[in-house]
Amino acid sequence: MELVKRTYYWWNKWTGYSLLILLLVATPLLTIFFKIFDSPGDSWKHISETLLWGYFQNTVFILIGVAFFTFLLGVSTAWLVSNYEFPGRKYFEWLLILPLSFPGYIMAYTYVGLLSYTGPIQSFLRNNFDITFKGPLIDLMNLPGTIFILSVTLFPYVFLISRTSFLQQSKSLQEASFLLGSNRFQTFFKVALPMARPAIVGGIALASMEVLNDYGTVKYFGVNTFTTGIFRSWFSLGDSTTAIYLAAILMIFVFTILYLESWQRGNRQYASLKGTHKPTVRLEPTKPKQFLYTSICLVIFLVSFLIPFFQILHWVSMTYQKVINQDFFLLIYRSFTLAAITGVVIVILSVILLYTLRLSPFKWIKNITKISTLGYAIPGAVIAVGIMIPFLAFDKWVYNTFLTAKTAGLFLSGTLFALVFAYVVRFMAVGYNPVESGFQKIGIHVNEASRLLGSRSTKTLFKIDLPLIKNSLVSGVLLVFVDVLKELPLTLILRPFNYQTLATKTFDMATNEMIAESSNAALIIILTGIIPIILLNRLINKKIG
Amino acid sequence: MSILSLTHVNKKYSQAKDFAVNDVSFEVAEGEILALVGESGSGKTTLLRLIAGLEHPDDGVISLSGQVIVEGKKSVPAHERKVGMVFQDYALFPHLTILENIKFGLDKKLPNKDEVAEETLRLVGLKEDFSKYPHQLSGGQQQRVALARAIAPNPKILLMDEPFSNLDTVLKDQVREEIRQIIKKTGITAIFVTHDTRDALSTADRIAILHKGYLQQIDIPKNLYEHPVNAYVANFFGKLNVMMATPTKDGFYTSFGFISDPEASKYHEQVRITFRPEHGEVVQREGQQLIGRIAKASYFGDHQIVKIADSEGKRVSIRTNPGRSFDGQDRAHFFLWKYCIEEAF
Repeated sequence: MELVKRTYYWWNKWTGYSLLILLLVATPLLTIFFKIFDSPGDSWKHISETLLWGYFQNTVFILIGVAFFTFLLGVSTAWLVSNYEFPGRKYFEWLLILPLSFPGYIMAYTYVGLLSYTGPIQSFLRNNFDITFKGPLIDLMNLPGTIFILSVTLFPYVFLISRTSFLQQSKSLQEASFLLGSNRFQTFFKVALPMARPAIVGGIALASMEVLNDYGTVKYFGVNTFTTGIFRSWFSLGDSTTAIYLAAILMIFVFTILYLESWQRGNRQYASLKGTHKPTVRLEPTKPKQFLYTSICLVIFLVSFLIPFFQILHWVSMTYQKVINQDFFLLIYRSFTLAAITGVVIVILSVILLYTLRLSPFKWIKNITKISTLGYAIPGAVIAVGIMIPFLAFDKWVYNTFLTAKTAGLFLSGTLFALVFAYVVRFMAVGYNPVESGFQKIGIHVNEASRLLGSRSTKTLFKIDLPLIKNSLVSGVLLVFVDVLKELPLTLILRPFNYQTLATKTFDMATNEMIAESSNAALIIILTGIIPIILLNRLINKKIG
Repeated sequence: MSILSLTHVNKKYSQAKDFAVNDVSFEVAEGEILALVGESGSGKTTLLRLIAGLEHPDDGVISLSGQVIVEGKKSVPAHERKVGMVFQDYALFPHLTILENIKFGLDKKLPNKDEVAEETLRLVGLKEDFSKYPHQLSGGQQQRVALARAIAPNPKILLMDEPFSNLDTVLKDQVREEIRQIIKKTGITAIFVTHDTRDALSTADRIAILHKGYLQQIDIPKNLYEHPVNAYVANFFGKLNVMMATPTKDGFYTSFGFISDPEASKYHEQVRITFRPEHGEVVQREGQQLIGRIAKASYFGDHQIVKIADSEGKRVSIRTNPGRSFDGQDRAHFFLWKYCIEEAF
């Protein structure tokens, strides 16, 4: 028989690209893993003896507090809007997601400003009723304050995910519960909540990752956690090994949460059981109850978004003439470019990873893609340290080998390349998920049909797959764009010297007692953050409706 | 001459416990229409995807028109195989017009691509405006486009995955015949997968029966129906009665009585006698016939099924004409004019 060209079916250029991406994305974690075996730095003894226990206590306390309050706020509002009809319900469905557009650190400055001596509440009371307070109305610059700020900005994760879960629960299951004699309240605790548990815990885990990532809020409030510890050892003490040690401990928290989350989820897939996925017909409660439900949602919305948002608008109206100048536009231009480039890079890499999996659906390739998107769980400070160390070493090597003192410069560390690289590691999952669902939606058959008609995999990708998932690609870029714009800790460590983004500028101004001025940049971050939230909500409604 | 041959092909999915395709070997002759028939999970679709190059076997050799396309871990990629495929969901490119869909697979160097595409569309009987998009067509029309797209590049073999499953019963009979004619007109070799035996019997030249990844039997429809190699294959094409029998030198003793048959002398152990309901006949007279108690008579309009039980309550079904009445009758005599003998072990 004639021999024809044959190749190993499991090897093609796509699997090669994917391995390469994995290697790059895993750099920061590998760095931390290998560096942990170095002997401890000078300040480790000092930190471990005096500060470590405090870091630990604060971190755990904040985690538990935020988990509790995000659960309370998120699940209760989700249950109300998915099961009852009351005035404004339709609007609260998406209004209650808006707090996500507030980065924690901006919420923190805003509330401190709101409650301060010169803030609107105290001024109003003083001017109209002659009531004066010493210092702020409520002191937020402490642990409970941190928990409050992080909870009001992060509860939408739990709200969103439990609402989706409640809406997807089979109508007949709830009806069965009613027929068996349970009222709505009992049904909630005995049927709906246990069924939604895997999803709800998933939402809380997501919020917990954000808590561990947070630097701006805790730094501003003067609460010491592992993140602030990493910054302190890196910037103030110049001790990279100690930073690595702290990063490693922080990663133990991350992996514990990830493990607990996947353990509790097990193999359960309650929500996708067969049955009508139409939501239960919403009950119309009595007028007083309707009033109560509207009030609950309204108060939560006012506190978590509208009041701080108006405070920011007020500050902007006071200061915009001073702040908005050429430099400010340069700042916007820079931040937007950085965010857009990151978005495009992430979507391209996601397409490569997912296309490899599409062509060769092997288990090991699935694992590669899974690991490549793990960055969302790694706190920004950890990624920054894990990238800075190999990059500094590389620059040092280049400097020693090729250059004289005159031509010396930075090649990788302290460049925009390092910053984009870190963003890619951290936000891979954000762009990956929409691309993945895009591919899932169009199915594999169109791709197979094209290849059977003689088009190579690359041609198929450009002629069939990509045109069909255009919208997913755009939303992938957009979602990454917004996250990059908000990002603070990574940017602070890795940005080139004196390079400012909207986020770092807001942070710098606010920490330098220029809260009102900082709100101009903050407003742009918040407004851009609102766009994808509205898109996201539409997507969820379409999927379920 | 065989155009496709599979030799000891094995395939196991990584999560699965059992093989999806288990040591399957067969050949397909040029111009032949072969139906792969089996229940869901029998491995029929996997087999089709192995031939297409969309999956890779763990083991075995596949060759297509004289070329080895799969051998061990090496294989010719799907886009170089020149295999046409019609997917169950048609997989038409939604962002391309009908004409563009057809032209997609045509050789770039072909000078008169539009003509070839239009000609193929006319061949499959599509009279719609070719600048329409797939979603503007009905299901039946989409299927014609899918067929045209697969055969336009003149593939070495045409594969069809459940081609009739999305059509309603009325349309199905018509489409089956049309597709058979189109395939025969082009002279292309075709393999199609189906779970419906009527599709296979009416459309295919030969039928391969798969069960749990094993190839049970591959033969022309008549032989499969009349000489099934085992009970699984036999059951696949309708109800099959089974009764145990003890051979003597001039016949078989069964629980319903004696069947005289000189063949019986060839057997020494207990045998299984299998027959289809239409291969038995209920008669009025007594004599050299089998006898049993009438357990149930069910009326089906164009025929009647009588269930006859032996002394232990075991039942066989016999088909009779619908006009026959069994009212007030307790016992029935019947004989078999066609049956199979299998050694029972």
